[in-house]
Amino acid sequence: MRQRLTVFTVLGALAMLLTAPPTASPAQESPSKGGGFEHVHALAADAEGRRLFLGAHTGLFRSEDGGRSWRKVALSAKHGHPDVMTIAPHPRDPLVLYVGTHEAGVFQSTDGGSTWKEANNGLPGLDVHGLAIDPNAPQKLHAAVREKGDGLYRTTDGGGKWVRVDDGPGGEVKVLTSVNIPTGMGGIYLYAGTAEGLQRNPDCF
Amino acid sequence: MGGLPANRTVNGFAVDTDNPKVMYVAMRDGLFKSTDAGETWKPVGKDLRNLAAVAVNPKRSGEVYVATADGVIFKSPDGGMTWKRQQ
Repeated sequence: MRQRLTVFTVLGALAMLLTAPPTASPAQESPSKGGGFEHVHALAADAEGRRLFLGAHTGLFRSEDGGRSWRKVALSAKHGHPDVMTIAPHPRDPLVLYVGTHEAGVFQSTDGGSTWKEANNGLPGLDVHGLAIDPNAPQKLHAAVREKGDGLYRTTDGGGKWVRVDDGPGGEVKVLTSVNIPTGMGGIYLYAGTAEGLQRNPDCF
Repeated sequence: MGGLPANRTVNGFAVDTDNPKVMYVAMRDGLFKSTDAGETWKPVGKDLRNLAAVAVNPKRSGEVYVATADGVIFKSPDGGMTWKRQQ
């Protein structure tokens, strides 16, 4: 009886494995067919348009074939696979990109996403919902921070140090982008997608 | 911002690199495109729903990608007129 129970248990586990839908679990490092992500937050192409990056509740993913298959990208040994809220690729250098996460702040890669370092100096909170890189001056980025230190922050040295700008757009920020449209006041516009719709503000204050 | 569904969450936003006045907004209701820096918007890709994010290929104007909230990717080669599921 005990032996039969064991056989059934093993068969049951095997059946579950065979019928389980393709999900992007933290343990899965091999290429996966898409459609199995939890809570996608961000999508971006690198400067050469060769690689796509996707940010989701289960981490960061990279595709080399236009989104047909995805491979998980390890962001941080300390934080595992943080909830990736936003992705900001460098406008000209395909090796440089930044991501903002829900619980571990900003990460920067200078080798196309193979290795990452934290870039949080000056940020009072680590819940980053929007990250915008300036298309004309890529060392300049804006970050929309939620919860602790809620507001808009700016770096002018590629994430070396962040300084608070103001309270930022009203409503929960979902996406933040620097758009190369001159304001006439010496800067360009920041567009923010929020829970209250699309908002536009000059970035020069 | 005429033409966008009012008081609805904007999940994704992307700009055409060649012409930054061409922009896309991803929402639960679908994808919307503006050609005048966001003054007016029109829906594109009529079957697209539940969108979480949108991206434009910086090297190919008009090559647009969208992701649904559960990670299905669609690609358009022509600025959103036609779409193909990637997986």
